[in-house]
Amino acid sequence: MFKKKSKPQKSGLHAPSIALVGNPNVGKSAIFNLLTGSYVIVSNYPGTTVEVSRGTCKGIDGRVEVIDTPGVNNLIPQSEDERVARDILLRGGHRRVVQVADAKNLRRALFLTSQLAEMGLPVVLDLNMWDECLERGISIDTGKLQSLLGIPVVRTVATEKQGIGHLLNALPQAGVPSLKVDFGREIEEGISRIEPLIPNGYPRRAMALMLLSGDFTVAEKLGYSKTVQGEVSKIRDSIQRKFSDPLSYAINRIRAAYVERLFHETVYTAPKRMESHPFLRASFFFFLIPVFAFALGYKIMDMLLFFFQGYLSSAPPLGLILKLASGMASCILFCLHLYRKDLRTKRTISEVLGDLTMHPVAAYPILITSLWAIYKLVGVFGAGVCVDFMEKKVFGYAGTPSGGFDLWFPVPFAGKDVTLFHVPFNGINYYLGLLGQMLVSPQNLGYQLFLDGQAGLIQVGLTYAIAIVFPIVGFFFLAFGLMEDSGYLPRLAVMLDKLFKRIGLTGKAVLPMVLGLGCGTMATLTTRILDTKKERIIATLLMALAIPCSAQLGVIAFVMGSISGFYFALYVFIIAFQLILVGFVASKVLPGGRSDFIMEVPPFRCPKLYNILLKTAYRVKWFLREAVPLFLMGTLALFILSKTGALKYIELAGRPVVSNWLGLPPETAEGFILGFLRRDYGAVSLFKALERVHGSVGAEPVQLLVALVVITLFVPCLANFLVIIKERGIATAALIIGFIVPYAFLVGGILNLIMKAI
Amino acid sequence: MTEPKIEEVLEHIWTHEEEFGKRASRDMVSQWIDPQVADAVLQDMLRQKLVHMYNSLIVLTATGRKEAEQVIRRHRLAERLLKDILAVKHDTMDSSACEFEHFLNDEVTTSICTLLGHPVRCPHGKLIPPGECCQRAKKILRPLVLSLLELTPGEEAKVAYITTEHHPRLDRLSSMGLLPGTAIRVHQKQPTLVIQMGETQLALDEDIARDIYVRRSH
Repeated sequence: MFKKKSKPQKSGLHAPSIALVGNPNVGKSAIFNLLTGSYVIVSNYPGTTVEVSRGTCKGIDGRVEVIDTPGVNNLIPQSEDERVARDILLRGGHRRVVQVADAKNLRRALFLTSQLAEMGLPVVLDLNMWDECLERGISIDTGKLQSLLGIPVVRTVATEKQGIGHLLNALPQAGVPSLKVDFGREIEEGISRIEPLIPNGYPRRAMALMLLSGDFTVAEKLGYSKTVQGEVSKIRDSIQRKFSDPLSYAINRIRAAYVERLFHETVYTAPKRMESHPFLRASFFFFLIPVFAFALGYKIMDMLLFFFQGYLSSAPPLGLILKLASGMASCILFCLHLYRKDLRTKRTISEVLGDLTMHPVAAYPILITSLWAIYKLVGVFGAGVCVDFMEKKVFGYAGTPSGGFDLWFPVPFAGKDVTLFHVPFNGINYYLGLLGQMLVSPQNLGYQLFLDGQAGLIQVGLTYAIAIVFPIVGFFFLAFGLMEDSGYLPRLAVMLDKLFKRIGLTGKAVLPMVLGLGCGTMATLTTRILDTKKERIIATLLMALAIPCSAQLGVIAFVMGSISGFYFALYVFIIAFQLILVGFVASKVLPGGRSDFIMEVPPFRCPKLYNILLKTAYRVKWFLREAVPLFLMGTLALFILSKTGALKYIELAGRPVVSNWLGLPPETAEGFILGFLRRDYGAVSLFKALERVHGSVGAEPVQLLVALVVITLFVPCLANFLVIIKERGIATAALIIGFIVPYAFLVGGILNLIMKAI
Repeated sequence: MTEPKIEEVLEHIWTHEEEFGKRASRDMVSQWIDPQVADAVLQDMLRQKLVHMYNSLIVLTATGRKEAEQVIRRHRLAERLLKDILAVKHDTMDSSACEFEHFLNDEVTTSICTLLGHPVRCPHGKLIPPGECCQRAKKILRPLVLSLLELTPGEEAKVAYITTEHHPRLDRLSSMGLLPGTAIRVHQKQPTLVIQMGETQLALDEDIARDIYVRRSH
């Protein structure tokens, strides 16, 4: 997804190289990482790789370039991804192709192998996920497959790093698969009539089949003139007339039938069910599930009560009874559901979990509880505890010592903490301040540039970037990685597809939308997995408008603790309502159709901690590289504005809008300006302004709510805006911003009026 | 030729039993057909072992009963055909049906029965004796081929054909391996349809599933 900048070789595109191809979610990226020793994002989600990554591999014959490609189901492309992969293969100059296959889904892999054969490419077939294949009682006669295909077939388990040596050893033996699909008299006649029209250097048969299938992008690629194109389509039409099905479909069917025979000759499936360890099973069914279900019911009632806590606080026993009752009810329901069927059918734990997480009923409480757990991890622990520690203790303040901190650990159940020792560390900024004061006075402009409490580059910019954003984003990506690798995200897509259809998207958009909760910039890049232009625009717009990023969310969650749950519920409601409303209107207004929702749901898997940590580290690094310069830029701008006094004028200019229309103190204007640079930065300075004016952030809950809604809906950060321009073009980006800014203030103003009226 | 007369008598005996639940007697025959030939027809029937005589009561043999049922069946199917398809008036329907029953052969009867969708009752509300074709149809009373959307979770089926006019959709489905002949199982229908085919689990829009026709596996 975000490729490591491993330098492409000087010889460029035409260097002999190894291309990795295969169906979606078979582990191409995992193999790529193992071959090259670099890292591209690996997850359990079809369509993780949207960009082509390159790296180098020290093979037995020296250094070769390795190219990772997006997953394809058909090399006669139907989507942008498939076109990208096909074009890489057609570009030529590849010494070899490694076809990565999901061993348990060999049928679909062989479909591609036959196409690679037509392209005349030397192939090594890598049967990845061999472990899952064994678990399911599927036996593949690799020897026979090897002799039938005439190419080396190796078995790997990429996530366990098994079999890579075999793959490397097999590379020199790569050969063109000896498969030739006979398409029947009519189509073969068409192929032989088109073949002479294909220029040299292209695989004739493969190109002819693409043209017959009606893939006209290929015609452009071949540089056909109008007359040749006309000739080709004449041939195509004359063949099509002999079939009642569309020609491309007929070709696919013949190919599938051919593959089916091959499949039956090499694959035997024993009616064996994989089983989890009996002890694990027992503890899962009789301990984990009841306890988890109870916690689920309890927590959901707890959350409901939280929203109305003002009305219920007078009757605490009632609240407890309700929570216990809801916990019991959920426990009984879950157990009944599972014991009735799943317990007896000996299904594995991951199968049961996979089904539960998209069950028509059970999935929703599970979703809410997972969101709650993520909130606890990111919002409370990350944004609360960690940020507090990093900001106050590690970075501290120039001029005031933080007083150090204790290293301690809690003693369970005793309610006591044991202090190991006291760390007399007063914060980086404090020491920098001391250092600075040795050289210049605190009133010196140079000192203030770095350590000013309101807009110093280090005191504010760097401290915010690292102390506030780093923990929040880090914990979010950790949680996100867990969702990705377990296979929960595609299940979320299944659950939300109907809702997303209302706003002109499909379930597929779940990936960018949820990632948008982490970082809108990153998520805007992944909108590429969506099929139509319309969907990509809607997803980009909605993310820029109504999806707060984790940094912002962390800051918001942090202040939310100071006001009642009612306002938090209201905030969530307003933002969700805006998301659906704007999406709905956009889906009606924008031209273009909705794409089909056809999505593979990968099996639920136990995530690998190592991969999640690696992925998180990788994403955080990317994020810091993007964020820190922008934070510094923003702080510098603020510093200049405040030192030159321009800030006062801007506040003055913004006053009518900010104070009259939104009902906020004029000081908050600064926050909106900063919002342009970083969303979270804007939120922070908004809260700081409210704190200064009212004494505490939550003193005026209505003002806080309005401020929160506006800053959430308000412009995306600079980085996101730049990516929007890059992905959608300047015109669309300008339109998006031109809509969002007035709209955010409009919603805020209306909200202010309504809240005042009540 | 006494053949049509025999059929007539068989028909009367059968309906008499159906209507009154009693055996017909010898003297009734002369009321049903021309009294002059009544005796001869009865003798013929006895000789062909279509009926037995117990005192003055006529009892149908197994062959006789079968024959009678076929006549009734032809008659009532003819009525249905005349009324439902040819829209003949009620009174002409009765008389024409009486003629139809004598010249319809088995094959034509079966075709008519199939054409009419194996009707159970005649226009007068009486039961039509089922033929072989009806028995066969009953076994597969649930339609053979149905839309994927009509399956319930857990049901297994094989894809029969895909009717969509939308070519890219056909291409995508077929390259994912969803083709005529593919065995599938409905995993769940809510909140979104999910099917299992081999080791692949696939979530699909309802619009797409509606156009996929499948044959239930038993």
